[in-house]
Amino acid sequence: MYRRELAEQAGNKFKNNERIIAPLVGFPGFTLTGSTVKVATQNSREHYKAMKALVEQYSPDVIFQLMDLTLEANALGRFTLFPVRDPSSIPTPEESFEIADLKELKKIDIAADSRMQGYLTTMKLMAEELPKDVLRASYITGPFTLAALILGAERAAMATIRKKDTLHALCEFSVKIAEKYMRLQIDAGAQVLCILEPTGGMLSPQQFQEFSGDYIKGLIERMKDTAANIVLHICGNTMHIIDLMLETGADGISLDSRETGVDLVVVAEKTPEEVVVIGNISPTEIMLLAGPGRVKSAVEELMDTMKTYPNFILSTGCDLPQAVPLENLSAFMEAGRESR
Amino acid sequence: MKELFESIAGQIVAGDSDKVVSLTREALEKGATAEEILNQGLVSGMDVVGERFAAMDMFIPEVLVAAMAMTDALEILRPLLTAAGIKSDNRLVIGTMEGDLHDIGQRLVGMIFEGAAFEVINLGADIKPQAFVEAIKKHKPNLLGMSAMLTTTMLKMDETIKLIESEGLRDTVKIMVGGAPISPDYAEKIGADGYAPNAATAVKKARELLASV
Repeated sequence: MYRRELAEQAGNKFKNNERIIAPLVGFPGFTLTGSTVKVATQNSREHYKAMKALVEQYSPDVIFQLMDLTLEANALGRFTLFPVRDPSSIPTPEESFEIADLKELKKIDIAADSRMQGYLTTMKLMAEELPKDVLRASYITGPFTLAALILGAERAAMATIRKKDTLHALCEFSVKIAEKYMRLQIDAGAQVLCILEPTGGMLSPQQFQEFSGDYIKGLIERMKDTAANIVLHICGNTMHIIDLMLETGADGISLDSRETGVDLVVVAEKTPEEVVVIGNISPTEIMLLAGPGRVKSAVEELMDTMKTYPNFILSTGCDLPQAVPLENLSAFMEAGRESR
Repeated sequence: MKELFESIAGQIVAGDSDKVVSLTREALEKGATAEEILNQGLVSGMDVVGERFAAMDMFIPEVLVAAMAMTDALEILRPLLTAAGIKSDNRLVIGTMEGDLHDIGQRLVGMIFEGAAFEVINLGADIKPQAFVEAIKKHKPNLLGMSAMLTTTMLKMDETIKLIESEGLRDTVKIMVGGAPISPDYAEKIGADGYAPNAATAVKKARELLASV
């Protein structure tokens, strides 16, 4: 791949009256394989089986690894809960974090973490065994989100006002972790790296720029020696920080559903053609709770709304929960193909 | 005194806890009652915070800092309010659903309700349906708030409401739900009384719901 290839591929498809279809789907793969979140996020072969099943069943143009916001934090030794059927999570740390604690964190080699190695093995399997025309994507925890997982979200929010130095030190550290994991993923075969920065969505534009946007911008700049395409995904209503998301220099921005307040047309209007806009069928209202008929009409409506933008990629607003009915996923893919 | 109350409100909005606390003490020394300081200083300040939050003129970090400043002042006023026999008319029990550790939004909602002169009992995160039922029995709130950040845990809201119904408690309490994956349609579908997209509008919605009782 080469930088901005996503946009070029999207543009080429657009010329042929087609679209890239790339739902953020991982967990429903277990419904196909009979596995669980817990097993698949700890076992590379089970993880791969879910990826393979999704590709065989739905033929998406991009296949994303399981969304796992605990991967890097867990590799850094943060206490993590692994329920059998729900995504893993990190409880708010009881003790507050001090700059001195960073010294200990810096000693940890995340590449030696077995779960992270598992994700990389899964990516290698994907690169070796999946059809070459399906782009392979992995998720990376964004700098402010990782800082918030280490500090606790509320402390991180308050630190944007009251403990800026500590937070900057932590974001600086977090972004280095992101870079290290990104490079490992690229070596394993990832072609698209999707930076997840959900916690950044709660910040004011100024705070976002200071504690997230600027770090991501620097990261993307440093990653220019690689061919991977970098996408920035933030869930929830991001209309107040769209300009700053675009300023990071990402090859694509992936956004949440209309129901959360995101207006994809407004976003597309201000997005340069060499950057893709990815979104944004509601993962809950439509994909989880509606029936296939409503999924189909929602996709058709979105495709129609975005019909003049060559750099649009059809996707879901956020990761799909395992409980999404498979017939809804089929309806999503079929409607996307029929109306492209 | 009016100026002092306005200063308290202003420092709440600015999130300056030290100033809010010292101004609260000054107002008490000058003879203001705890209730006056609460309503004309703290609540009035948090009203502005709520409005500016809803208008996206303030964001979660600033609202948290403001709410903390209010909480610090409330610590001083609470014993005085209790001694004066002043009780809030409204009691909110709030918690995040079982399996969900996200509590920042829910805590914020709780603090903003405190700032709107509600008595708030915050159960915390990862609360089982049965624990909500027990809390209703124990605290007898007129409002119950349930929060979920995950598409998996939001489904527990439905289960909890059904359990509240089966325990015969549904008519004793208005139920509001919120959180990132929740929509008005979902709230209606599971039989909640109300939904709000953020903490600021939640207070407004709650007042409407409780006024209709």
